[in-house]
Amino acid sequence: MKDDYLFIKSLKVDFAPKKAPVRALESVDLSLSRGKRGVLIGPSGCGKSTLINVLAGLNADYSGQVLIDGRPPLRGGETALILQDFGLLPWKTVWDNVVLGLKFRQKSAGEIKAAAESVLEKLGLLSLAQRYPAQLSGGQRQRVAIARALVLEPKLLLMDEPFSSLDALTREEIQDFLLEIWEETRLTIFLITHNIEEAVFLGEKIFIMSHSPGRIRQEIENNVSNASRQRGQTQFWEMCSFLRSFLHRSSHYAADA
Amino acid sequence: MRQTLKKSGGTIAVVISLIVLLIIWWLFSLALKNPAVPPPTDAIKNFLASLQKDLLTHLGISLYRVLTSLFLAAVLGVPLGIWIGKNQKIDDWVAPMIYLTYPVPKVVLLPVFLIILGIGDVSKIVLITLIAFYLILVTTRDAAKNLERGYISSVQSLGAGSWDLYIHVFLPGCLPAILTSLRLGLGTAMAVLFLVETYATQEGIGFFIMDSMSRLNYEDMFAGIIGMGLMGFFLYLILDKVENLLCRWVKL
Ligand SMILES: Nc1ncnc2c1ncn2[C@@H]1O[C@H](COP(=O)(O)OP(=O)(O)OP(=O)(O)O)[C@@H](O)[C@H]1O
Ligand SMILES: [Mg+2]
Repeated sequence: MKDDYLFIKSLKVDFAPKKAPVRALESVDLSLSRGKRGVLIGPSGCGKSTLINVLAGLNADYSGQVLIDGRPPLRGGETALILQDFGLLPWKTVWDNVVLGLKFRQKSAGEIKAAAESVLEKLGLLSLAQRYPAQLSGGQRQRVAIARALVLEPKLLLMDEPFSSLDALTREEIQDFLLEIWEETRLTIFLITHNIEEAVFLGEKIFIMSHSPGRIRQEIENNVSNASRQRGQTQFWEMCSFLRSFLHRSSHYAADA
Repeated sequence: MRQTLKKSGGTIAVVISLIVLLIIWWLFSLALKNPAVPPPTDAIKNFLASLQKDLLTHLGISLYRVLTSLFLAAVLGVPLGIWIGKNQKIDDWVAPMIYLTYPVPKVVLLPVFLIILGIGDVSKIVLITLIAFYLILVTTRDAAKNLERGYISSVQSLGAGSWDLYIHVFLPGCLPAILTSLRLGLGTAMAVLFLVETYATQEGIGFFIMDSMSRLNYEDMFAGIIGMGLMGFFLYLILDKVENLLCRWVKL
């Protein structure tokens, strides 16, 4: 619906490298209401990152309609982006990475200090503030990336395969942690993943994307995500296998086409 | 590629290397029995004596020429290199130009510079600057081009403007490469310095060495060689320290 928080209609993105132009996205339609958690899942190369780059305001070269809270995407606004390799600057300490966005927003030194301290405290990172990213574990780095996003008090959190480089345990910890943050802040989350369990655990709404050119193949309301916070339950696995079979079908479809 | 003196344990290794080098030198002087290669003890004594005379002035002038040139080369080469590396379209235009001119040995332009710019400091500084500039420009451009895209997009999404990207992403991200190119540039600059100072000048360490040679004053000549060697060594050491200071994160 047009008054949804996140609204995408007939989105088309072409890349035109010198030799072979690529149509990465073809008439993508998608919407997500405020405060919901949406998860996008699809095969590699189907255009998921392309879509999130448009939403983050990093690629203005698209056609169609993309609205976030009624306005076209804008970088550095109320949207925060977290990437797979976290995008932390290795030459800055945890502290300097976290305050970067506040500095760009010309906040006063006092405001910056207070905001960064409270976020780092909340994420249990305060004692690591003077370390460099290379001196942290993968999970800690991921939390720094989350801190760097949250300190800006975003309304929309975009995540591109944020947990894929973490081991299974750390990954589940951070997923739980993300849900806690969501419950507290009720921000809108739009997350990309390759992982079916992650999609079922985190996504209230799951969007399945298909290949070349990318488009949304199916939209699934996932009640399991809210009903149970436990991964082991039967409903959870039923949902996973449903999603899995669906993904297999749509990838066959893409291969046949 | 990277040769830095480690802080711990390195000191002993440096002292041992120094002793070995002095012994080799000493053996050479014994074997050659030629005044052009005095034994280390005499040479160091002469060096200290020459410092009291005018060697220090000549060293100072050479130091001024090298440092000015490297400074100018960095101030011009770094921002330009980042700018070209950052903008693919500009690189498409500039790359062939660099490709064509990079391999040309700029030293051969010395006569041209002497004629156009005169025999003063300017022609020397311009030539050394030009040579170091190329090195820094190309290295910085490549570093900027190969900078991980994720750093750029994540910082852009935090609201960084073009200037913020320069200061927080490109400059620090390219800094290790820039310092490497400065170190390489220093070696080349010293070599070129020697060459330019042997022509049409009465000042500088290159002149001092060649002049002593023509006067058959081998003691002064060798003192000059030691002076130039030490100058190169200390400049290298300073760059090393700067790198340790600014690029701590690289070695983590
Ligand atoms: N800058 C670019 N220039 C040209 N083609 C591109 C560019 N970026 C992406 N593409 C192409 O667009 C398509 C979609 O890429 P995208 O990165 O969005 O896929 P993805 O779904 O995120 O894949 P993955 O799951 O592997 O991350 C691919 O075919 C890719 O080759
Ligand atoms: Mg991707």
